[in-house]
Amino acid sequence: MVRLITHNLLACHAKGCTSNNFPLQFKDIQVELREAEFNSDFLRGFLPRIEWAALVDASRQLGDTSLPAEQPEMLDDDFLQKLHHVLLEIHVEEGAMICPNCHHVYPISNGIPNMLLAEHEIG
Amino acid sequence: MPPATAVKAVSVSDDPQVYEDEHVHGVYDEIAPHFSSTRYKPWPIIAQFLDSIPAGWVGLDSGTGNGKYLPLPLERPGSVWTIGLDRSRSLLEIARTAGGSHREVAWGDVLGRPWRPGAFDYAISIATIHHLSTHARRKAAVQRLLECISPSHGRALIYVWAIEQDELSKRTIPCDSSEQAPASQEKNTPLAGQDVFVPWVLSPQNQPKAPSKRKHEFRNKGADGEEQQVSSTGATEPPSTKIFNRYYHMFAQGELPDLVCEAARDLGLAVGNPKEHVDAARGIEVVQDGWERSNYYIELRRWEYQ
Ligand SMILES: [Zn+2]
Repeated sequence: MVRLITHNLLACHAKGCTSNNFPLQFKDIQVELREAEFNSDFLRGFLPRIEWAALVDASRQLGDTSLPAEQPEMLDDDFLQKLHHVLLEIHVEEGAMICPNCHHVYPISNGIPNMLLAEHEIG
Repeated sequence: MPPATAVKAVSVSDDPQVYEDEHVHGVYDEIAPHFSSTRYKPWPIIAQFLDSIPAGWVGLDSGTGNGKYLPLPLERPGSVWTIGLDRSRSLLEIARTAGGSHREVAWGDVLGRPWRPGAFDYAISIATIHHLSTHARRKAAVQRLLECISPSHGRALIYVWAIEQDELSKRTIPCDSSEQAPASQEKNTPLAGQDVFVPWVLSPQNQPKAPSKRKHEFRNKGADGEEQQVSSTGATEPPSTKIFNRYYHMFAQGELPDLVCEAARDLGLAVGNPKEHVDAARGIEVVQDGWERSNYYIELRRWEYQ
């Protein structure tokens, strides 16, 4: 799957592409929503390590505008529910992710992102 | 002449990538539909490692195969997320719903680095690095693991097949953390594992044959959860039985810790307890290593002074 939890970790690794290679930009995507079990311990623990601006930007590309531009200091249940939905319930099934730096295309098919590089693209 | 299903020594002669494409990835893509993750019971050390991961941590399973570790820890589902990476697209189709829920997986090579550096809190590599056919590639795979986990608190667990297939007393092989070792010791011949083909026998209906008819000459319950049973029934195999030879580098005793320490040093990381390396900025410490059911394992953590 490519949910935003994973998207927040992925970066371009094509040869020579080492800066401005995150976050990858979505293109021509098909999305499916699937309920996932809510786990506030996970969300509270993961929150400090999220690249927040990248997550907010990606969620807007997927049509979800529920997250605030700045990470809130109060982690109330309403916020955690929104975060849960954005991180874990939006599945990108088809489409691609494009590197903002070198424009390498990482296709997504049947929910699986193709992060393989051709031999000549390996850094 | 040994039967076609016996484990046999091989020598890697081709381009290692081409060689692994044929003898590892190509094989797994073909046999993937015959992997079942339902009967798998995780091994104690792997389960303990994942049980000990704090809530909120995100990890990488590098070479996830059918994703059997992605649902762990079973007692607190959803408290950590392990993302599965594999080179076999067919196995990922199984892994993406391992354990009956949707999992996060990515199609990629364990020698790639498609992540923000240090993005993960932990990483596991179970029964994967032994499929790489040169020392340099195995070292690079370890380095990718070390790079993808947090430099301050990242933890990693690696399992590989051992040459030693019998019961051994568990013993710890300490990492040689002395960086001032004399050159003569430093240049010791590296511990040599053994390159072999391990056959996967696919019978026409994928029916396991009655064990009583087989004389097992080699048996290994691998950390990939797959029962290896290699028979010497020879010519009695039905003609339509298909045999896939998978490449393995079986590790010698001490080879895995040596590989990990070399991989770390080549990245500029100190090896040992941080208290013994107050002059170093970053390093790794071996938490435990040993032998379990025909496999060598090593657990390590990264540390840094801020
Ligand atoms: Zn790029």
